[in-house]
Amino acid sequence: MIRRAARSEHVSGWLFVLPAVALIGLFGIVPIIWGAVLSLQQNDLLTPPKWVGLQNYRTLVHDPVFLASIHRTLVYTLLFVPISVGGALAIAVLLNRRIHFSRFYRTAVFIPVATSTVATGIIFNWLLEPTYGVANYLLGEIGLGPYGFFQDPDQALYSIVAMTVWGWIGFDVIVYLAALQGVPDELVEAAKLDGAGRWAIFRHVVFPLLSPTTLFLVVWSTINALQVFDEIYVTTHGGPLQATTVMVYYLFNQAFELFHGGYAAAIAYVLFLMTLVLSVVQLWIGNRRVHYS
Amino acid sequence: MKRVVSLVLPLLVLLAVAASCGGGGSSNGVVNITVWHGYEDVEGKAINAAAARFNATHPKIHVTVQNYGNADYALQKVLTAIRGGAEPDIAYLYGSWAANIARSPAAVDLAPMIQSDPSIHWSDFWPAERQAVQVGPKIIGVPALVDNLALVYNKKLFDQAGIPYPSDNWTWDDFRAAAKKLTDTGNKQFGWAYVADGSEDTVWRFDALLWQAGGDILNSDNTKAEFNSPAGVKAATLLQQMATVDHSVYLDNGNGNYANLFNSGKIGMLFTGPWDLSSFTDVKYGVQILPGDLNHQTISGPDQWVMFDKGSTRKQAAWTFLKWFTSPQESLQWSLATGDLPIRQSTTRLAQYSDYTSKYPGVATFVVNLGNAAKARPVIPTYNEVSQAMGQAIQAVLLGKAQPKQALDSAAQQVDSVLASGQ
Repeated sequence: MIRRAARSEHVSGWLFVLPAVALIGLFGIVPIIWGAVLSLQQNDLLTPPKWVGLQNYRTLVHDPVFLASIHRTLVYTLLFVPISVGGALAIAVLLNRRIHFSRFYRTAVFIPVATSTVATGIIFNWLLEPTYGVANYLLGEIGLGPYGFFQDPDQALYSIVAMTVWGWIGFDVIVYLAALQGVPDELVEAAKLDGAGRWAIFRHVVFPLLSPTTLFLVVWSTINALQVFDEIYVTTHGGPLQATTVMVYYLFNQAFELFHGGYAAAIAYVLFLMTLVLSVVQLWIGNRRVHYS
Repeated sequence: MKRVVSLVLPLLVLLAVAASCGGGGSSNGVVNITVWHGYEDVEGKAINAAAARFNATHPKIHVTVQNYGNADYALQKVLTAIRGGAEPDIAYLYGSWAANIARSPAAVDLAPMIQSDPSIHWSDFWPAERQAVQVGPKIIGVPALVDNLALVYNKKLFDQAGIPYPSDNWTWDDFRAAAKKLTDTGNKQFGWAYVADGSEDTVWRFDALLWQAGGDILNSDNTKAEFNSPAGVKAATLLQQMATVDHSVYLDNGNGNYANLFNSGKIGMLFTGPWDLSSFTDVKYGVQILPGDLNHQTISGPDQWVMFDKGSTRKQAAWTFLKWFTSPQESLQWSLATGDLPIRQSTTRLAQYSDYTSKYPGVATFVVNLGNAAKARPVIPTYNEVSQAMGQAIQAVLLGKAQPKQALDSAAQQVDSVLASGQ
């Protein structure tokens, strides 16, 4: 009797998740497997593919553009993650106080997240345009510049960092704000009674309580940063002189501009493994330091 | 339940679409064929009108035209359709894909049809168009669109600088000197603009200069790079001198700023094509053929109608349609409606042709300039790699990050290894 009930619950449970499982299977698992197969082929997506074994991976190891793209991706990630997560924490703490117009500021911070990347890209193209852009004009007023921004190979990647931090920080702020609301008042009160200053309260009470949120944001931002593409596609197209050709941009270039489908799939797999390893390491380190209550 | 509906509904729609795409073929003696295109607005209306005219005069064939969206992604869409057996009879595809298309077994080689049917008047198409669809012995399409680069200049800026308008025997030196005079750094005004994003947009403007200096992109059998010849270095040096010494060139980062800036009177001259003219509403512009070195060659970027094999009856019907649609009279109708350049030489000799040149100021020079489009880019499957290597080199020169010879030599080395490996 009990068993039958359990079984029917099992069945209806599976039925409930079936749509999600089917969709994830179709658009998640199948491409992952097909990508692995593709990475072992020479496939121009046009003529019948040819099996080449691990040749694509062997070529990758000696491809200077690919190695440079890994380097750029890591530089980008190392800048983007601390700046966006750290910056978001600072903004969230500021916005969490009772100040005038705090709702307005919260909305303002979040608007870039809701704006389409293409629109953001067009705006930044004009803001950071070296000759006519507003950025150089304003910087010129205080005696700085002019800068090349997207058009200078030495500045383009940092300009992308600035643009993406601006575009994504609002999400982190909202998550932190929610977490800050969850910090119990009695703990803060207790710390105050014990004579802790504002910094000490933040450092020893609030920050530890935010640690699950911080871990989530770091892992999530890292995964996003490793896969940065849209913002580059709508602004620098990987240039100038490949200065912003990160891994996914190179993958796109190989797959859809040069029609090297197999090679691009191999790049995707390397990126997948990198992301997996980084996430596991982050979660492993994080779980030893995070306080869940 | 809602979930199930939301899942099932799209599937049903997909099935319905697939079923309707799979249709066609012949019924009651009428052969149905499908044409895919990416035309919008004026051009979209023009092709619908053309199809209606054709259907009215050809009772045995029924043409359905379908918009596939942005033509930039048409190759991927058509390839996907071929996988599923749902490809159209005819599709509009970019010229730069010719070599890739030729490798697909589904694309029809038109060479035998052209040979056995003189009524197509093949040699009446502009030479640049014919070169663009010729892949080895195969001909993979019928010309659909032709354009070229000419010198478009702002008359007011020339008047202000007190220099005469460009002539048709301008040399590179004349051009460089004028660009310098038109430049006013304080006023953020430039003599010329160059798309410097390293894409094909960067490369094809360079190709024109390269050919003018007597150079070539690759050798005659497409096995070795030749753009690093003295002619290539000379062309790249012109760009280098203008961009990094005279500072008379606005470097566009590939987002099309140059057109807006020209239209607001910030740029004196452009190398551009007829497609840009309609956006120059705020300035008085003139059009002249390109300045030259040994000659005044330009470059043309033709696109084509590609036919796919759906059986011999439909192939014949598709051929009849293409012949009719690209005939001199229809070509003129098209040009009148859209402003596009006529795709046939004899179109320019029709009586109504003067209506076209008076309706669209400046196009007459572009049509004359088609005679200067003597060479075409190599039609090989690895062209995108050639273009990418050249683009990086030219960009490095424009940004002052490399010397012309050194940059072109290193690009040539990359190209040689790509050509040798054949992928």
